[in-house]
Amino acid sequence: MMQSVGIYIHIPYCRTICPYCDFVRRGIPGEVPEVFIEALCREITAFEGPDRAESVFFGGGTPSLLAPSALRVVMEALRQRFQINSPEITLEANPDDVTPELADTWQDLGVNRMSLGVQSFDDDTLRYLGRRHDDAVARRACEVVRERFANWSMDLIFGAPPVESWVDTLETCRRFNPLHVSAYGLTYEDRTPFARRKDESVDDETYLRLFWQTEEVLSEFVHYEVSNLARPGYACRHNLIYWQNLEYAGFGPAAYSFLDGVRSRNLVNTDAYLRNPGAKAEALRLSDEEIRVETVIQHLRLRDGLFLEDYAQRFGRSVYADFSAETAELVERGLVEEHVGALRPTRRGFEMNNEIGLALVHPQRVSAAKR
Amino acid sequence: MSAPNERIRTFCIIAHVDHGKSTLADRILQVTGAVEERKLREQTLDTMDIERERGITIKAVAVRLHYRAENGGDYVLNLIDTPGHVDFSYEVSRSLAACEGALLLVDAAQGVEAQTLANAYKAIDQDLEIIPVINKIDLPSADVESARRQIHDLVGLNAQEAILASAKEGIGTQTILEAIIRRIPPPKGDREAPLRALIFDAVYDSYRGVIVYVRIVDGRVTKGMKVLMMFNGLRYEVDEVGVFSPEITATDILEAGEVGYVICNIKTLRSTKVGDTITDALKPAAEPLPGYEEVQPVVFCGMYPAVANDYEELRNALEKLQLNDASFQYQADKSDALGLGFRLGFLGLLHMEIIQERLEREFDLTLVTTVPNVAYQIRLKSGERLTIENASKMPPSNLIEEVAEPYIEAEIICPTEYMSGVIELCKKKRGVHVRVDYIDSKRCLAIYQMPLAEIVLDFYDRLKSCTRGYGSLEYRLIGYRPGELVKLDILLNGEAVDALSSIVHRDRAEWVGRTLASKLRTLIPRQQYEIAIQAAIGNRILVRETIKALRKNVTAKCYGGDITRKRKLLEKQKEGKKRMKQIGAVEVPQEAFMALLRVNDGAER
Repeated sequence: MMQSVGIYIHIPYCRTICPYCDFVRRGIPGEVPEVFIEALCREITAFEGPDRAESVFFGGGTPSLLAPSALRVVMEALRQRFQINSPEITLEANPDDVTPELADTWQDLGVNRMSLGVQSFDDDTLRYLGRRHDDAVARRACEVVRERFANWSMDLIFGAPPVESWVDTLETCRRFNPLHVSAYGLTYEDRTPFARRKDESVDDETYLRLFWQTEEVLSEFVHYEVSNLARPGYACRHNLIYWQNLEYAGFGPAAYSFLDGVRSRNLVNTDAYLRNPGAKAEALRLSDEEIRVETVIQHLRLRDGLFLEDYAQRFGRSVYADFSAETAELVERGLVEEHVGALRPTRRGFEMNNEIGLALVHPQRVSAAKR
Repeated sequence: MSAPNERIRTFCIIAHVDHGKSTLADRILQVTGAVEERKLREQTLDTMDIERERGITIKAVAVRLHYRAENGGDYVLNLIDTPGHVDFSYEVSRSLAACEGALLLVDAAQGVEAQTLANAYKAIDQDLEIIPVINKIDLPSADVESARRQIHDLVGLNAQEAILASAKEGIGTQTILEAIIRRIPPPKGDREAPLRALIFDAVYDSYRGVIVYVRIVDGRVTKGMKVLMMFNGLRYEVDEVGVFSPEITATDILEAGEVGYVICNIKTLRSTKVGDTITDALKPAAEPLPGYEEVQPVVFCGMYPAVANDYEELRNALEKLQLNDASFQYQADKSDALGLGFRLGFLGLLHMEIIQERLEREFDLTLVTTVPNVAYQIRLKSGERLTIENASKMPPSNLIEEVAEPYIEAEIICPTEYMSGVIELCKKKRGVHVRVDYIDSKRCLAIYQMPLAEIVLDFYDRLKSCTRGYGSLEYRLIGYRPGELVKLDILLNGEAVDALSSIVHRDRAEWVGRTLASKLRTLIPRQQYEIAIQAAIGNRILVRETIKALRKNVTAKCYGGDITRKRKLLEKQKEGKKRMKQIGAVEVPQEAFMALLRVNDGAER
């Protein structure tokens, strides 16, 4: 494989904590502390691994809390350490952080793709989700971003009450016309304040109705991944790395990396990270079999699925040799179909995506490999 | 050199679980110097782990002790440990038959329990000298007078002579030993008569083969002697005789009155029948000892390996296990739903649980077990008679003239305030009232006759819960009785699942079917396709439940760190699926096969 990776930068700070979010984050009143930026730069500088990067993704937490000076320092460190050719550089932003000035600065510093955490254009829904912003703020932020960035994405959440606000949110989204939309079904994650409210979640039928409504309203978009839609050619390059199970380097607390067959995670606690940036909380060397399983599972989240040729080239063997019974079962169950040289999920395969994974994993063979 | 008969006393201890039998046995071993204190592993006589954990004794053990009495005489005491549970009542009766006396141990705080009572009656039937011992007198809640009264009223013994003891504190041990010498008669037996030795237990040892526990009633047995098992007709040459003191110790000879072991190259426990009489093959006794019975299993269940590949392993495990427990039976069986497995027969429910647990624990097997059932005697219209041990083997109802099921008589003791609940429970379980006695102001004894099938299901758990744990139960088989019994089928997507069939009383069939179907609906997880669950008698569908198809199962977000986490989660889920059985297109979890046990969880009607 060519030594080129995706870079993920985790900014673990938020002004307020969204009750449904299960990412690693903490609340702070002001800007991202300087010690964090120092630690992050130290980690980037000391990174041992590939030198070339094709994407940078600032996620969080809330990367829009980064002061322009801080972002500059981090970008500087990245450019020092990596050769970044025609990159996709994404920054996630909260609508209420977005100002024309800040957006100008982000652009100046090299950010060429914005991901705006709109979630909804309905005030009641936003309140239910515990967001800081309202509909008006979201619209203003969209204007600001749209004027400056050709390539921008909007994050939306469906399934939060009032659930029927979803169509309006989609219509509004369509009018702002971003190149990319991430539409996530609201999940009441364990270990979040929302865990206790699981009984408020919509039933499966409603969930799926809303799920398919998304691509119906955003009809010019390609529904290229379970939760992601894009205008043709504008799929998120960085996230495609995850779905194709390629290599990435994560910086910042709790960030994951997948390099040279090892999936590792940085120290999760921010204070611990600050003391020891780059230290790993866990590192797991995956067996070839595990990598193959994960690769197939991840690809089958994508509309285009897995090209048989790609698999053969990457692993030197046929996907049918490795997963003959499993693929047959999945085709039989109507979850996967064969389509011009590719295995791809059907509509049912999107709805029941975890069943695909379940059919593909091999707990027995894994434990045998460990022995 | 054997001790003369008048210097031998042979006894056992009769007690309810937790009333302190093992502690008292340990005390006796200690006082007689058989075991040094520092070597005394807590409860020496219970040797299997499961026994120790459950506080019950599965295999009887006999120990020879030496005791110098206050009268200056040296005595040999044989302590025979009896199995403590209802399932092993035949073994208990054979152990008792090997004794001249018994200590009746009653917890001063708990009083006489049903189990104690049943075994005490057995001892009285066999003319044993019974010495009542009231134990745990050191407890603040001890009520010695009430215990005395119960011993008098219930067992019919002179309770004024009861010895007060605390095995835990070592109080009364000496008095007990003296009473054993004074009150229990020495063995009679004629040492010059032809050999008659009662087999009261046997264990399998992987180095020595079968070790047979015997009480020599007449004559003597020595190494090299040719012996004959009078009931099963097998002949052996004796390799070794000896005693447990408590370590296994070879001796030259065992003579009438003595208790010990015989090893004679017996390969499997199945060749040794508890209750059989060993005699001299060259000079056989005229009559065997009385009381021999062929023990028949009364409770049956199917066991299938969760993974089909483990079938051979399960077979090996059963073979090995039967080496040291010949009282369960097994035979190969094939279920349409569960594949190749075995049908096992047990002496009772606890016996079944012990075997199951040993299979999983000692042999690391994952098993799918079906709900236990009893054997039914069927008379066909053609006049043909058959016994079925498996509901799915029941002939079509139009061919059947009569179905009979085993009945038991149950003795239940519980505090008076719970008695109405117990009576209610017995009624619900098709119990026939015999009588209810008041033991004292606080406790009652209820006697009911009821189908064993009801006991086998969940009676004991129900009893415990409706008496807050205070109820105790003892039962004995009283024979087969005809009943309005029908086969209840469960169909998944229209196909009857043999492993879910059961035989139930016609009056309750509809209710059981309804409850079972709705229970299954909660136990079988939603799957990609809709699942129809039906309960049916013959062609008549009683009820239909539907498990709606799983409409969605998708994780919204899957980025960097989620990938491996998700794979591991899926693997764990799949591991759980391994415990499920694929029946047609339906994956059925193991609990579903035990659902019948939980049918009564809901309120009836």
